Amino acid sequence: MLTVRDLTKVYANRFDAQAGGVREVSFELPTGTFFTLLGPSGCGKTTTLRCIAGLERPDAGEITVEGSTLFDAARGLAVPMNQRGIGMVFQSYAIWPHMTVFENIAFPLRVAKARRYAREEVRALVDQALSTVGLGGYGDRPATRLSGGQQQRVALARAIVHRPRVLLLDEPLSNLDASLREEMRAELRRLQRQIGVTTIYVTHDQGEALAMSDRIAVMEHGRIVQLDEPRAIYFRPANEFVASFIGAANLMSGIADRAVEAGGIGSLTLEGGPRIACLFPAGASAGCQATASVRPESIAIAPVGTAATGDANVLGGEISATSFLGGTVRYDVLVDGRVLRVVGPAEQVFSPGCAVELIFAPQSAVAVG
Amino acid sequence: MSVSGLVERRTPTPAGATWLGAVRADQRLLIAVLVGVVLAVLMLPPLWILIQDSLTTTDAIGDVTGWTLAHFHKLFTDRDALTSIWNTLVFAAGSTVLSLITGGILAWLVERTNAPCKIFAYLATIISMGTPYILHVIAWLFLLGRVGPLNDLYRQLTGATGNIFEVNSMAGMVLIEGFLWSPLVFLLLGATFRAANADMEEAARMSGASVFDTLRRISLPLAWPSILALALFVFIRAIGAFEVPALVGMPGRIYVLTTDVYEATIVVPPDLGYAGAFSVVMVAIVAVLLAWYGRLSKHAERYHSVTGKGYRPRPFDLGRGRRIAGALILLNFVVVLLLPLLTLLWMSLLPFLRGFSLAALPMLTLKNYRTVLNAPDYVALALNSLTVAAGAATAIMLVTALAGWIAARRGPGGRILDQLATLSLVFPGICLGVAVMEVYLRVPLPIYGTLWIIAIAYFIRYMPYGMRYVYSGVLQLHRELEEAAGIAGATSLTTLRRIVVPLLTPALVAGWLFIFLIANKELAIAVLLASPGSQVIAVAIFDEWVNGQGGELAAFGLVWTGLMTFVACLFFAQMRRGRTDVYGN
Repeated sequence: MLTVRDLTKVYANRFDAQAGGVREVSFELPTGTFFTLLGPSGCGKTTTLRCIAGLERPDAGEITVEGSTLFDAARGLAVPMNQRGIGMVFQSYAIWPHMTVFENIAFPLRVAKARRYAREEVRALVDQALSTVGLGGYGDRPATRLSGGQQQRVALARAIVHRPRVLLLDEPLSNLDASLREEMRAELRRLQRQIGVTTIYVTHDQGEALAMSDRIAVMEHGRIVQLDEPRAIYFRPANEFVASFIGAANLMSGIADRAVEAGGIGSLTLEGGPRIACLFPAGASAGCQATASVRPESIAIAPVGTAATGDANVLGGEISATSFLGGTVRYDVLVDGRVLRVVGPAEQVFSPGCAVELIFAPQSAVAVG
Repeated sequence: MSVSGLVERRTPTPAGATWLGAVRADQRLLIAVLVGVVLAVLMLPPLWILIQDSLTTTDAIGDVTGWTLAHFHKLFTDRDALTSIWNTLVFAAGSTVLSLITGGILAWLVERTNAPCKIFAYLATIISMGTPYILHVIAWLFLLGRVGPLNDLYRQLTGATGNIFEVNSMAGMVLIEGFLWSPLVFLLLGATFRAANADMEEAARMSGASVFDTLRRISLPLAWPSILALALFVFIRAIGAFEVPALVGMPGRIYVLTTDVYEATIVVPPDLGYAGAFSVVMVAIVAVLLAWYGRLSKHAERYHSVTGKGYRPRPFDLGRGRRIAGALILLNFVVVLLLPLLTLLWMSLLPFLRGFSLAALPMLTLKNYRTVLNAPDYVALALNSLTVAAGAATAIMLVTALAGWIAARRGPGGRILDQLATLSLVFPGICLGVAVMEVYLRVPLPIYGTLWIIAIAYFIRYMPYGMRYVYSGVLQLHRELEEAAGIAGATSLTTLRRIVVPLLTPALVAGWLFIFLIANKELAIAVLLASPGSQVIAVAIFDEWVNGQGGELAAFGLVWTGLMTFVACLFFAQMRRGRTDVYGN
């Protein structure tokens, strides 16, 4: 179990009032969780990671791992980073260029204070780590003679060789090219499952976060705005920011017609007149402001006059732009003065100016914020 | 092997963590305190003693008898003193402009155009890096002097008996000092031009601008902050220059602040109050200029828009101008390097000093070289110089490796360490010489009159250079390389020893070589500290010149220059290699 409670670290900024850092970040992770901190640059995700690593000293809060406290502002306790028993992969990999691959990976064992490792033990552990990351036999290479992907694997081997209690990954894939990134994504996830270490992963790439994580915390302005499983983050965004940051979202604001209980379907009168049925995860009272978020791929596009099935929402509009994306076609559709983005199949093409109907299920429209 | 089993064992108890943690976390603090004490003990007393000198009256044996403003009063009312200040400013400004024009044009031609003969520009720089300033000055005194070829030619052509050029004048001083600084300007501006973004110039060329237009409207405005910063730097150094004012100015009764300080110190009894007041004025001027320089160079760095990565901007095609450019580079080589060296060679081959003439050819002899190479005095002298310079360079790099690392990483007390280590930048060499002399006359340590006092003065004087090398070296190391070691379980000391120092080696070696070279080059610091039993090269050459032993001096100087050129080659090789070794970025 890794627990972070009310973690706060504020950077003073001389130039404008908006200061960076993190504020009152809390979460609790069962051992073995793959946890992702997701957000745009400057949202505080890396600061959170560095606080856990001991690279930054938080202003307030508490961090515990497996029952032992790493940091507690109230008691003035801060375990130095070199005694936290944490493994970390840095964004730049930080492979020491004056050492061989073997020496890079053996470093955590050689400087370990808790116990001395015998020569054979070091060799065995390093070899094991090397083969875990798929670099068996690379030990004697100078660290400077490695490709980006190999450096990444060495960094990973170095982070796990001393069996850390927590593995921290700071945007480890951002320096790799696209195809290698895909490969390493799957590889990282496999590895993490294999060694079962609690992992905190920092990224600004929502695709990575959705594909790899057990749980995701979306951060904005130093705070966690939503912490949930990937599917929930995607389909039940907590607010407009999450909705638009994770994938594309059509946001339509309006006023709730009547009171809705949490998780119920209610009806929303949009600005400009039309009324849609949508899901209110948090409920709503009559007359309150709400914004509905609908994913482009949840909306079906059809010629005018197509019979809608059941209780589906139907909005009439006019195609204003199309772009062919290969497998799909993306449309900008003008509906009552607002532009909705819709993804349609490549086989059927509507041209600009064409009147269409947009159809989506009430469950696909989620009231946020 | 189960993960949980290991986890249990690695879990530190909270109590142990705080106690151990405090000690471990304090490692850097401990280093900072130790280094800070060493720096404070060495750096602060010289400054204090100059201020004290300038404000006190002393009795015959040098004990303070009271406070006074008389020295400053004398300084600001005395006609001679005011003339000295004025001379200093004219001299510094003139030589700055001259070196900037010659060095700047050369740097642009070499770094940004396809001019031929570039190798000669580098050659001139490398060799002058290793030549003591005083040798250059002596060569120029001869070349432009009464018996020198310039005036000789004038007399033969016109039949006149006078000189066309009086070298012991302000013009002579400016000319020689300007030539002395031009290689350094070339080196530093070359770096600026190299770092400039060629895209901006190419964009201008694509928009239809000529080479000249591009230079005038794009390149120069972009490089302007750097040029201004460099001008200020040369100006500051010229204020503190001693060789040219002493050898060229003093015989012509032209005094600047440094020579005033020198005269006030060597008269019997020394007028230390007056020297102190002069020094304080000079230190104040330099301190103000340095603050301004700091702001300027911070501004200048913003214009460096391209990072390294083996990137080299495409040079301008000068077309038919190439030949003129090549001729300029060659001319510079001849003037800045070849002429002075040939002059020294000529002087070294003659039994006594005389002008260039065919009639003198039969008298050429290697006698001076035989004397120099066989005399134990000269060998001992060379060994003295090498030992002191190497010792000071080593000590400086040891201290700055710690201080520079802590300062660059904003560790505990980093800012204070940085300021302490770079404090001596405000001392012109001669003032530091006076101050160190006084401090160690009063301290009950038997080092006055030994090489130790020179080594200490070098240590104080060149500390800022070591700091500079380490500081920028550390900044080139990606921070995460150190953080990774900390996360892996290493203490600060282990990180320093196993990660920082090995990766910093190129910067440490380059800094060491630079200090070694410059310590063997400058005269001003050691001139007041050396005594007959503890001579160094520059001072010995100065004394011999004053005593008129030109031939032996030239022979010895050339041998020494050869040796130092070798070290300078090592230095440039190291710099070239260091440039490509930017780790982790």
